[in-house]
Amino acid sequence: MSNVVFSKRLSVFLLVVALALLPSTLFAQTQEEPIVIGVAVAQTSNVALLGQEQVIGAQIAEKFFNERGGINGRPFRLAFADTSGDEAGAINAFQTLINRENVVGILGPTLSQQAFAADPIADQAGVPVIAPSNTARGIPQIGRFIFRVSAPVAIVAPNAVKQAIKQNPNIKRVAVFYAQNDAFSVSETGTFQQTVKDLGLELLDVQTFQTTDTDFTTQITNVLPLEPDLVIISGLAADGGNLVRQLRELGYTGTIIGGNGLNTANIFPVCQALCDGILIAQAYSYQYESEINNAFREAYKKLQDKEPPQFSAQAFAGIQVFVEALSKLDKRKPLKDMDLKTLRAELREEIMSGKYDTPLGPISFIEVKKEDGTPAGGEIVQEQFYVAQIRMNPDGKTGRFVFVD
Amino acid sequence: MEGFLSTYGAAIVQMALAGVLALSMYLPLMAGQLSLASPGFYAVGGYVAALLSTKVFTGYPNGEYPIPLIVLEMGIAGVIAAFFALIVGIPALRLRGIYLALATIAFVEVLRIFALNQDELGGAVGIYNIPQPFFSATRIEYLVLALPLLVGAALFVARLERSRVGRAFVALREDELAASAMGIFPTYYKVLAFTLGAVLAGMAGALNAHILNTWNARQGTFDLAILILAYVLVGGSRTFLGPIIGAAFLVALPEIILREVAGLPGLNPVIATFLRDGRLILFGVLIAISVFFFPYGLITPSLLKSRRKKTPAEHIEPAKATPKVSGGEL
Repeated sequence: MSNVVFSKRLSVFLLVVALALLPSTLFAQTQEEPIVIGVAVAQTSNVALLGQEQVIGAQIAEKFFNERGGINGRPFRLAFADTSGDEAGAINAFQTLINRENVVGILGPTLSQQAFAADPIADQAGVPVIAPSNTARGIPQIGRFIFRVSAPVAIVAPNAVKQAIKQNPNIKRVAVFYAQNDAFSVSETGTFQQTVKDLGLELLDVQTFQTTDTDFTTQITNVLPLEPDLVIISGLAADGGNLVRQLRELGYTGTIIGGNGLNTANIFPVCQALCDGILIAQAYSYQYESEINNAFREAYKKLQDKEPPQFSAQAFAGIQVFVEALSKLDKRKPLKDMDLKTLRAELREEIMSGKYDTPLGPISFIEVKKEDGTPAGGEIVQEQFYVAQIRMNPDGKTGRFVFVD
Repeated sequence: MEGFLSTYGAAIVQMALAGVLALSMYLPLMAGQLSLASPGFYAVGGYVAALLSTKVFTGYPNGEYPIPLIVLEMGIAGVIAAFFALIVGIPALRLRGIYLALATIAFVEVLRIFALNQDELGGAVGIYNIPQPFFSATRIEYLVLALPLLVGAALFVARLERSRVGRAFVALREDELAASAMGIFPTYYKVLAFTLGAVLAGMAGALNAHILNTWNARQGTFDLAILILAYVLVGGSRTFLGPIIGAAFLVALPEIILREVAGLPGLNPVIATFLRDGRLILFGVLIAISVFFFPYGLITPSLLKSRRKKTPAEHIEPAKATPKVSGGEL
């Protein structure tokens, strides 16, 4: 390729690139900036299904609290930065929010793995972070500025077992199934098995399967002669649903508890009418009666035409914590008198000491310690948990999660 | 400038690391082997550094982890990656073309599933709290390590291209049968190219474990293999500069679209939303366009040749290069 041809091609190429980017430079205006709260969640990539729910929850909170006067009359604005699904993306998004948008705090990121990458950066910069959906162990232990409003698996899961005993006090004999190749299921089953022991139930047998399995006859045949009256399953939707169906088909009539992997309407087509009665623990219930949850539920339904999911409620709660802590801080020490660094540091203390009545129920934070004993961030103290039971419609194809208490 | 660096520090360091990864795939490609195993060695390197820094070299407060230890970790990661490359490479490199690509994809998958099921490696959550050598919220300081790694790798490959070994690689790429007829032992050179690539990928992984603070089974998967392949193909697979430029270009592009172009004040919200959420579409279109205009990549040897004064030795002409190696023992 000669020099001339190359130059020609290069100019055409650059022209096309420029044309692609051109529309952006056309419109220009400026506006005054209110207080900025950052939202760094996965708006693209395969995690976006969760991230989009969080965006909706945060946007509802932005509108809701601004209509109620914002931060003592001063409005606030959300700055969104897409983390995409990976760790590097989360780091980039955090740095943009911290250094460019000058946010007072950040809601995010979506995944626990991303939190382990990006949270230390916010912590070093002294920017409070509230995690809306990180459930892994060790998140608030990352640093002093890290909080979460998402209760960890180890706290949510046991509620389903307690509910099962409440419904049937005669439950004594428990069999546990879990998907060996799914990390979340492996850690969840640990929690379930511990709960079973703690509650004085008899753990008859533990069976493993793969999330790719479709035939569970061997495992079920091993378990049924032991006559369990409670079966606990940690797996994903397709395998979990199939396991439930085959358990029922092979004659099991006792209670079934599903883990978080079964916490989706996607299992309805798999086990159909046999899904009926599965118990699943939840960190949020749209049926929870309180002024703030009713308002949130109504706003969400108006926007999305369906009941709000847990991810949106947790994102809403995260923004609410920021707004209420900022308002309280402002009354104590006017925000406009503080530089950004002081404001962020003061905000951290304010978040930690407050109590918040959120759509998740009343929550507060307890300061945790790092492994070396130095103080770290805030773990959520959530008073209310919920258990939903699957109720299938007579057609056997559709169903819903009914909250029980 | 300060704001620019603090916002883009991490992205700039990632550009350098992407360049090293691109070189790691370029090396086997130089010998005509389409290997997608780089992410596997990258993952191994990351785990080596994560384990060493959290389990072995402990006791340093955050922000004061010694840089020489990171260099040592990178060295160990390189050696272990080379070991893996030998074990995998000797049988796998009997395969050619897409079959080799498939085998290397399988290798990456096996590693991922192994890591996911290994408690010592932290399962899905992975290893976190990896100690930091710098007490700073930006990641730009890591250029101290990333840039020498990139420059070192680039110089190494540049020298290699003109050495006897490099010419043997090129001869194999152009015609394996002819090359072996001239005394080039294909297996030896293929495994050598594969192993050199693995060392680079392992070292990049080791460094990135520190940059990301954490390492888990989501690092170094098949998706990354495709991305690295795009770096090499867009940049050009016939000279070492190609993959480096391709990597820098493709890593920077989505960031620029996302943070600069879509964030321009007063931008029409519909367009801004499209640029933000649809930037990967734009990214794909730009890759397609660049491949359309530059089927051999942005940087080609003839381009480099024509840009400089014409000196015969500049351009590696496979047909001329082969006889030079044929005389020696191989």
